[in-house]
Amino acid sequence: MGCAASVPDKSSGRSGGLNNLENGGPPDAKNLRVKLVLLGDSGVGKSCIVLRFVRGQFDPTSKVTVGASFLSQTIALQDSTTVKFEIWDTAGQERYAALAPLYYRGAAVAVIVYDITSPESFTKAQYWVKELQKHGSPDIVMALVGNKADLQDSREVPAQDGIDYAEKNGMFFIETSAKTADNINQLFQEIAKRLPRPSVPDS
Amino acid sequence: MSTSSSSSISSDDEPNSNPNPIDDELSLASVTLNESNGNGSVNVNENENENNRQDGGEITWGRKNSEVEVEAPSSPSSSGYAGERGSSETTNSRIEDDEIQQVNNDDGFVDEVNHSRASSWVPGKRHVDEDDASISWRKRKKHFFILSNSGKPIYSRYGDEHKLAGFSATLQAIISFVENEGDHVKLVRAGNHQVVFLVKGPIYLVCISCTEEPYESLKGQLELIYGQMILILTKSLNRCFEKNPKFDMTPLLGGTDVVFSSLIHSFSWNPATFLHAYTCLPLAYATRQAAGAILQDVAESGVLFALLMCKNKVISLVGAQKASLHPDDMLLLSNFVMSSESFRTSECFSPICLPRYNPMAFLYAYVHYFDDDTYLMLLTTSSDAFYHLKDCRIRIEMVLLKSNVLSEVQRSLLEGGMRVEDLPLDPLPRSSISHRMSQQRLLTDSPERFRESSVGIGGPAGLWNFIYRSIYMDQYVSSEFSSPINSHQQQKRLYRAYQKLYSSMHEKGIGPHRTQFRRDENYVLLCWVTPDFELYAAFDPLADKALAIKTCNRVCQWVKDVENEIFLQGASPFSCATDKTEFAVLMLESYL
Ligand SMILES: Nc1nc2c(ncn2[C@@H]2O[C@H](COP(=O)(O)OP(=O)(O)OP(=O)(O)O)[C@@H](O)[C@H]2O)c(=O)[nH]1
Ligand SMILES: [Mg+2]
Repeated sequence: MGCAASVPDKSSGRSGGLNNLENGGPPDAKNLRVKLVLLGDSGVGKSCIVLRFVRGQFDPTSKVTVGASFLSQTIALQDSTTVKFEIWDTAGQERYAALAPLYYRGAAVAVIVYDITSPESFTKAQYWVKELQKHGSPDIVMALVGNKADLQDSREVPAQDGIDYAEKNGMFFIETSAKTADNINQLFQEIAKRLPRPSVPDS
Repeated sequence: MSTSSSSSISSDDEPNSNPNPIDDELSLASVTLNESNGNGSVNVNENENENNRQDGGEITWGRKNSEVEVEAPSSPSSSGYAGERGSSETTNSRIEDDEIQQVNNDDGFVDEVNHSRASSWVPGKRHVDEDDASISWRKRKKHFFILSNSGKPIYSRYGDEHKLAGFSATLQAIISFVENEGDHVKLVRAGNHQVVFLVKGPIYLVCISCTEEPYESLKGQLELIYGQMILILTKSLNRCFEKNPKFDMTPLLGGTDVVFSSLIHSFSWNPATFLHAYTCLPLAYATRQAAGAILQDVAESGVLFALLMCKNKVISLVGAQKASLHPDDMLLLSNFVMSSESFRTSECFSPICLPRYNPMAFLYAYVHYFDDDTYLMLLTTSSDAFYHLKDCRIRIEMVLLKSNVLSEVQRSLLEGGMRVEDLPLDPLPRSSISHRMSQQRLLTDSPERFRESSVGIGGPAGLWNFIYRSIYMDQYVSSEFSSPINSHQQQKRLYRAYQKLYSSMHEKGIGPHRTQFRRDENYVLLCWVTPDFELYAAFDPLADKALAIKTCNRVCQWVKDVENEIFLQGASPFSCATDKTEFAVLMLESYL
């Protein structure tokens, strides 16, 4: 963006950023806590995905995110582990782009969302993938999400494009609809399965 | 120039004299026609040249003798315009009366249902389908524009910025034409319209209005709009223009239409916009103390400012050390938070800039809503303080719940603040204080409508409303609206009258006005300014002068009696002015 002047510099290598590991206690292989960040163009439905996942709701009125919202949700996996997602739902508006490192720094998972009816948002998603490959944690789990899958009639990004791009970049791919709840839980279940498990420390 | 303005005023005096709205169309015609010149050599219209000569470049217009302001209210039927951009929630809303100029034959004194603010105004931009060629766009009573000094549109209250490129270029041409002459355009009068300009480096702000608000008020509104933009982007946006004069700023303001439209809407209902003071939610002293104590506690742990607010009213606020919070920053911050729906959904962490505190740098705001109306804002300079602030919030929430602050807040919200009908008859016993703020309220929990129909005539001596502003505390208190100031239009008209009074009392070079007493067909207005406070009061137009004066004295006494409940004590946001001057209730009679 054009006006990055007074936002925090992303080059600084110090651990900074919004990480809550201090009071997280020792790593526990049965109860994981992961920081997840959602990135993507404004209006692709990041907030709707999160609110569908966390509260089971869908509100069609647009509520442009300011800065970033924080929500958390715990899910149980079949092997009786639980995963607590600490979710940063970032603002897709251009003026906040320079701020993104603050939220993705230290994130174990990045969910990059586009809108299947908007090729521009797919381009923007690719920008975020590149940015994370450069500046994100090296072992970050990345998911590419084509949202608004309920709008098949106005689809402009073929599913195959998403699949191909995700494959090339070692990402998990899924199409979702926050509106119908289609694939929303699956998205987070799949992410949870792919998380690197901490090796159980001797204690 | 004052001749032309007063002649247009006097024709307004007859409410029915202007049945043809076309006459009131934006009469920038002489300017607009020159648009095609394109190279800045615009012939500014005659009015302006005249003004230039008379005022040596400072284009202002003289004060009018008549304070009569007749503003034709619009009927609800004028809301048949297109919905706002990108949203389907524009249900049957009532429109603001300065949205479109419409001459009605009633003068606004019809009994209307009292629409609450929430139901009468829907946030967001409307009429995006309009552009400067639309008749409806030209008839809007009050336009606001932001543009760059290269003439690129940045924001327009009505219509799509991008479709207004030609119009923006025209405005830009006027400004640069006059600037090249070594002057700064400030005001152009064109027929019924005032065009007010504000130049802020590479940013130009323009208001075109036929609302007859004083120049100083409109300029103050432009300053606030500029401040709102700085709050979102910081002043470092200037650098974008240094690098590229043709820089397009609109993408950087994406999604902020609601913030600006809500600010502009507040010009008509929120006296903080012209008083440059904030107001508190009335609360028992102990309740506010409890809130203040826990905020103080977290402020000491590296929080720059901690504010607990209910809608636009302060419950408590604390600043670390000497850090001071300007009332305008509070206004802009609370407007930003309240108008951005996403803050209500979950806790947020966002960069914001306080233009009066430091226009160059972002602070980080942690925002959390405790309920629909009550929210906490913790400001810090540290970009990674989120988890700390979240912990602070949890501590604050526990204390607020334990000491019932949140339920007291809800109660106060229902009960409302000071009411002119409750003005104590004789300022004798101090015991009447608690009586006034609590017991009586409980009886009047019924919705506004019922109370209005049962009261009917306002307070003693025809007192309709008052605003009391404490200079040292940077706070004001206004009485609740009561009959006959019921409708949004009447409220807005009263605020405009106050605003006029305010700017006439604060005009430079006039000397310290102490008092003003004006009577017109709408009100008796009484204003009293002392070094400690300012009182603005509105009475029935037939009110007796001597009685009105007496009543103002009683209002001051009343405010003093309940100051512990209506003001935030001892925590002046302007830390330098903490020495609280004991204010004496002076005898107003001696001034008038
Ligand atoms: N049809 C359909 N609409 C959706 C879906 N998800 C979101 N939307 C709509 O898309 C709009 C934007 O959704 P948001 O969740 O606010 O978008 P966002 O990505 O959070 O946008 P920013 O906060 O500005 O970054 C909303 O008005 C939703 O109604 C979906 O799955 N299907
Ligand atoms: Mg969002």
